[in-house]
Amino acid sequence: MGEAIVITSGKGGVGKTTTTANLGAALANMGHRVVLVDADIGLRNLDVVMGLENRIVYDLVDVVEGFAKLKPALIKDKRFDNLYLLPAAQTRDKNAVSPEQMRQLVGDLKEEFDWVIIDCPAGIEQGFRNAVAGADRAVVVATPEVSSVRDADRIVGLLEAHEIEKPLLLVNRLRPAMVKRGEMMDIDDIIEILAIELLGVVPEDEGIVMSSNRGEPAVLSDRSKAGEAYRNIARRLAGEEVPVLAVAEDGLFTRLRRLMGWSG
Amino acid sequence: MPRRRTATAAQGGMATPWLAGRPDEPGASALPTLLVRRHLRSGQRVHYQGNVVVLGDVNPGAEIVATGDIVVMGVLRGLAHAGAAGDSTRVVAAFRLEATQLRIASYITRAPEGDRPPDVPEVAQVRAGQVVLDHLTQLDEDR
Repeated sequence: MGEAIVITSGKGGVGKTTTTANLGAALANMGHRVVLVDADIGLRNLDVVMGLENRIVYDLVDVVEGFAKLKPALIKDKRFDNLYLLPAAQTRDKNAVSPEQMRQLVGDLKEEFDWVIIDCPAGIEQGFRNAVAGADRAVVVATPEVSSVRDADRIVGLLEAHEIEKPLLLVNRLRPAMVKRGEMMDIDDIIEILAIELLGVVPEDEGIVMSSNRGEPAVLSDRSKAGEAYRNIARRLAGEEVPVLAVAEDGLFTRLRRLMGWSG
Repeated sequence: MPRRRTATAAQGGMATPWLAGRPDEPGASALPTLLVRRHLRSGQRVHYQGNVVVLGDVNPGAEIVATGDIVVMGVLRGLAHAGAAGDSTRVVAAFRLEATQLRIASYITRAPEGDRPPDVPEVAQVRAGQVVLDHLTQLDEDR
């Protein structure tokens, strides 16, 4: 029986889909059986970021409505035999699926896979309720901006209401140089408000834009700083003790380790 | 005396004769009190006829409205409205009072631009028609 994790944030554009793709690829690279579920029905992106757009035949709504069986709807990744994608429907909307149907679907996927990673749409409405319905845990993605942290706080409250306790925080697109100059919120500020456990920090990396456009997750590149951070985060998710990536700019991350409670 | 009253409330308010009746200490409040034992996050709200005590932080975008006093045993960053039914003798106290806006009865105030709140427990109360923030030890007890 696998574990279902929803990647969520409230705010759009903070990196949920990028995080889903990279954590999925990293876990698959570690040998785990992984399926990615695009719950952003009507605005599907995950297939593009994974470079699998041209292989879609059936989608999540087809499966839920019984038009397609689950197995043939799963798209096998180009790079890993143990990584699959269940794409969202593009021609439907969030109301095409109910939370009960999602619970059933994710439950079925957990029978077959070690990890079910659900890419949640932005917002707090039906799409959010669907995406979290079948999840056991949640990763909340926030960028170091006041508006993003505010929305993440709202999401943590809603996750509690959906009985998903102890969500994990992923801080994305951190610019250590800006933090050092006092121009960007630092990790302490974010954790002080959200009061949840830190899973990891991903530095700002221009290479992410290129890798998303090419459909090649950054974790597959040895040269990507963000890719390295995502690889470490995947190992932490899988229960390994990994210190937070030292993204230069000394001082910042030594303090982090104490905050997280990971000996490193 | 106040400690004992809390204990009876926790046990379901059993009719213990020597604990019944009104508090006889000056400054004690006989209003019902709601205890919130978690953080209040953005979008969460507590409305209550009586006092509200939060054992945690109140984050931006969270809201507490009470007819009595409000006490936050953490950082108050969200909206707090004490004496919401019109009683301007009510107060808002917090371990760290960092609210951007405070309301007591019909008085509404906001923190001045660029204000850096001090690192001490504070209380907000109405004095001479103005909401005034003070160190918690400066609470006007006798009203």
